Amino acid sequence: MAKKKVRKETQITVRDFLEAADGNLGIELLAGEKHLDQPIVEAMVNRPGLALAGFFKYFANKRIQVLGLAETTYLKSLGPEECQARLRRLFKARIPCVVFSRNRRPSKEIKILAETYRVPLLRSKLVTGDFINRATLVVENLTAPRTRRHGTMVEIKGIGVLIQGKSGIGKSEIALALLESGHSLVSDDSVLLMRDSTRQLIGSAPELTRYHMEIRGIGFIHVSSLFGITSIRKRKALDLVVELIRGDEKTKIDRTGLTGKSCSILGVSVPMVTVPVAPGRDMANVIEVAAMNQKLKNLGHDAAKELNESIIAHNIKSASNKKR
Amino acid sequence: MSPSSPTTSNPPPIKNANVSELSASHTIENKYGLHARPCSALVMLAGEFVCDIDIEHEDIRVSAKSILGLLTLGAGMGAKITLYADGPDAQAALDALGKLFENKFDEE
Repeated sequence: MAKKKVRKETQITVRDFLEAADGNLGIELLAGEKHLDQPIVEAMVNRPGLALAGFFKYFANKRIQVLGLAETTYLKSLGPEECQARLRRLFKARIPCVVFSRNRRPSKEIKILAETYRVPLLRSKLVTGDFINRATLVVENLTAPRTRRHGTMVEIKGIGVLIQGKSGIGKSEIALALLESGHSLVSDDSVLLMRDSTRQLIGSAPELTRYHMEIRGIGFIHVSSLFGITSIRKRKALDLVVELIRGDEKTKIDRTGLTGKSCSILGVSVPMVTVPVAPGRDMANVIEVAAMNQKLKNLGHDAAKELNESIIAHNIKSASNKKR
Repeated sequence: MSPSSPTTSNPPPIKNANVSELSASHTIENKYGLHARPCSALVMLAGEFVCDIDIEHEDIRVSAKSILGLLTLGAGMGAKITLYADGPDAQAALDALGKLFENKFDEE
């Protein structure tokens, strides 16, 4: 375990932040479009109240700066000259951007300062506290550990399932059959996984090929155009990994479902089942059942375990009857 | 269908018509009897042979290649079972499966 939280430097920019906010923060860009590549070195949000009051020691200048009702009212209480001087010091401090919450408009002077010091100006409809909470989540997710997995991710009745297996084993065809029965696609062939602050893994598709699939013999298809808007999911938490193997592979298959296998992705343990593919097996159906069974397990009902417990109880009873 | 009928299992070896069928008797010696783990071991091992393999316990005869079938036997410690094998590798199958019983399925 990490003893001390070391603040990692990020690679994100104001542009990334704006894109990730995606309507969720009620945010709009007011000025400084040219300077959107300003880095947000620390993935956090700061209210620069003390800085505006003139105290710059320990000023967290590498974070997103939010000016809320308190800050703007305070600035107004200063004389115009003093106000201008304080703001200048703030903008000079190499901050990534300034956000005005509660949809407040910055004055002309602030816009000039922003332009001079190349600081993008944003504004959000949210009240300050709400904005800080949501924006913190957004930047945290932007900087969350991520990885890419070969496989196809689908959502089956609310369960996020990553289907893995060797190339050509039929992952896309199975996903297709699942789409046919009303489930949705997160990503085909390549899945981006991110570990969020609650240690959940969130799957999504790489931007470029999002909502496309490749079906052997047909080529690329656009999923939502063919199957409708409900056939796609932008992001989904991962609940289960289904590993497909060839039926003839000499791998030991758990026939009972009692062993509870799991795999580790970004340090998070994810339940996993290994399913052999064989001719005549409706794999979509099998995976659907695996997903539902996982849902049941998540609710604390493990059918395999319960069956076995009742069998053991029966066997013990029949053994002791025999002794008598 | 009467439990002793030779056609209760799947696939059904035709008992009387088949003289090539071999059998072996064992006693279950592990504490919890034929529960999921031993059944799983039996099924996996049985699956490696091409011959038909059945297990009989108290007149109920099931295929040794079906895990749910094995569980229905409800065979606890001390239960007597008979293995039947029919096919080219029948003897090898009986020997291999017999080892599992002898070793108490690696359980207490």
